[in-house]
Amino acid sequence: MEAFQSLLDGFAICLQLQYLFFAILGCLLGTLIGVLPGVGPAAGTAMLLPLTFGMSPIASIIMLSAIYYGSMYGGTITSVLVNVPGEAASAITCLDGYAMAKKGRAGAALAIAAIGSFIGGNVATLGLVLLALPLTAVALKFGPPEFFCLMLIGLSLATTLASQSVVRALVSAVLGLLVAMIGIDPVMGVPRFTFGEKELLDGIGIVPIAMGLFGIGELLLTAEGSKSSVIHTKLREMWPSWQEFRTSIWPIFRGTGIGFFLGLIPGVGVLVPTFISYAVEKKVSKTPEKFGTGMIEGVAAPETANNAYCNAAMIPLFTLGVPGSAVIAILMSAFMMNGLIPGPFLFKEHPDIAWAVIASFYVGNLILLIMNLPMIPLWVSCLRVPTPILYTLILGFCVIGSYSVHNSVFDVGLTLFFGFVGYAFKKLDIPLAPLILTVILGPLMERALRQSLEMSRGDFTIFLTRPISAALLGLAVVLVITSLMKMTSKVKEDRVV
Amino acid sequence: MRTMKRPYQLSALALFLLSGLVAYESHQLKYYTPLGPGPGFFPFWLSLCLAALAVAMFYQATFRKTAYRPADFVDSRIGYLRAIAMCVAWIWATLMLERLGYRLTMLVFFPFLLLTLGRVKCYWVVLITLLGAMVAYYLFSIVLSVPLPTGPFDGIFETIDEFVY
Repeated sequence: MEAFQSLLDGFAICLQLQYLFFAILGCLLGTLIGVLPGVGPAAGTAMLLPLTFGMSPIASIIMLSAIYYGSMYGGTITSVLVNVPGEAASAITCLDGYAMAKKGRAGAALAIAAIGSFIGGNVATLGLVLLALPLTAVALKFGPPEFFCLMLIGLSLATTLASQSVVRALVSAVLGLLVAMIGIDPVMGVPRFTFGEKELLDGIGIVPIAMGLFGIGELLLTAEGSKSSVIHTKLREMWPSWQEFRTSIWPIFRGTGIGFFLGLIPGVGVLVPTFISYAVEKKVSKTPEKFGTGMIEGVAAPETANNAYCNAAMIPLFTLGVPGSAVIAILMSAFMMNGLIPGPFLFKEHPDIAWAVIASFYVGNLILLIMNLPMIPLWVSCLRVPTPILYTLILGFCVIGSYSVHNSVFDVGLTLFFGFVGYAFKKLDIPLAPLILTVILGPLMERALRQSLEMSRGDFTIFLTRPISAALLGLAVVLVITSLMKMTSKVKEDRVV
Repeated sequence: MRTMKRPYQLSALALFLLSGLVAYESHQLKYYTPLGPGPGFFPFWLSLCLAALAVAMFYQATFRKTAYRPADFVDSRIGYLRAIAMCVAWIWATLMLERLGYRLTMLVFFPFLLLTLGRVKCYWVVLITLLGAMVAYYLFSIVLSVPLPTGPFDGIFETIDEFVY
């Protein structure tokens, strides 16, 4: 009951005109990011961070969250209309969404995707409302040893679940942890890996890293590669038929469940729930052979799972302070830039902000549902912008974004460096998400480890003598063993050329 | 068909060298203090992990069959030129942003990119350049309160500044 009262208070804040404006703006910008190929949610959120510098913490987080889930919906539009996923999560939607578009049912596909996203997003947010207080009550009992073990679990999941190759995912995670070590040591105040550069004393900010890895790296790849052929289709009928509605109901529910539960696990990545929900629909369908030819279930389920996942992924962030994906890690850094630490203390120290942001998820989902369908022709016209103009504008915006975080050209240079890293990682099929997650989690993890060992005067058994930390450590060990088993099987798989 | 063997071997080698550098650097820091682990503790173990992963990567690439190289692993010459143009523009911005100021730097940055990335009509070049270099400057400075750098030659924009402010 307390949670719902707090949620109502949150609505009272987020429905104020100024916050409503930022939610709408965020949804618009997010959808634009989703529509434009080459700019994923992570790069887009990082790129647009500077827009929020002059805003209050609530406005800033509301807008960035809206950008996040707006970009998820934007990706669907291009998947359905031009067979080009605006972001990775919508890749599976191309199969049946584009086939529906070719049959003149693009409007129906987009409407079902929007309705499914709305339902999935709202159910997942309800989960956040219900789980927020019980989970934070548990998390408040956590000391440094428990937090260290929790971070360990987050890292193991991030590296094992988000990748095709465990070795390459671990390389990415370790490199991220090393990047996180740069700067002043948090306990003793000694500079580490700064190589005499005073700009590195504060460490490397998340914006140059995210913008470089996800933005510049992707742009370099896209500019270098050959362009995919874009086929435009016409929107004939905007609304699904009653039959299409009926067919979509169960896929939407199943997609919600899959997206919600996978969103609770840090590191799964948004691709997994969309592919699983598609696979489940194909499995339960009486006509699996027709998937890929324009089955509405093939659009409803993955799109619902996608949005349910995005909203559910906020649960570990809000309650435990553990980001589950690259975009959530960037959102977490936005919280930190505003002097807020996501996790149990957020509900204790800033309940107004926490609940206003949660309430804004409902508002944002509604805005997306109402606003996006009539605006589809506008988004499609954005795709007709010639690529030289598009890339130039994006690069210009990235320059401003990377400079304005610390007013430093050093950050602009760093962004290009991480752009090269992102480019190389993509060429070598090394996942980027573990790197960005460990950059965020690394300092927290190190601090928790060192504080734990200070508490125990260097005795490592502290992690085993406390029941919660022992249980969490046990889980982490299980995950590590699982990942080692996966590594062995991957080696076997790699033998197949 | 070529495989990913060589790129992975070279990457593993680079990672191994990096792990050596990290191990050396962390050796310069205190590994342990009376209170517990020192600043060198975490990086040292990370360097060992990285070295082990580099060895695993090299082993996999050398002694196991690896995947084929994707068709787009090496792209066309024109594609590389486009990517190089982006890097050149970015380096220009990095070097000149604080020396020339945002507006003058971007008055070169935008047309350079527009003209090198593809065919763009002249009026678009002028429009995008003005939008990106001038309008964005005032938008960020005034509306969003995000100051962008000014340079010693910004006096040439005095009339516009007076009008806008």
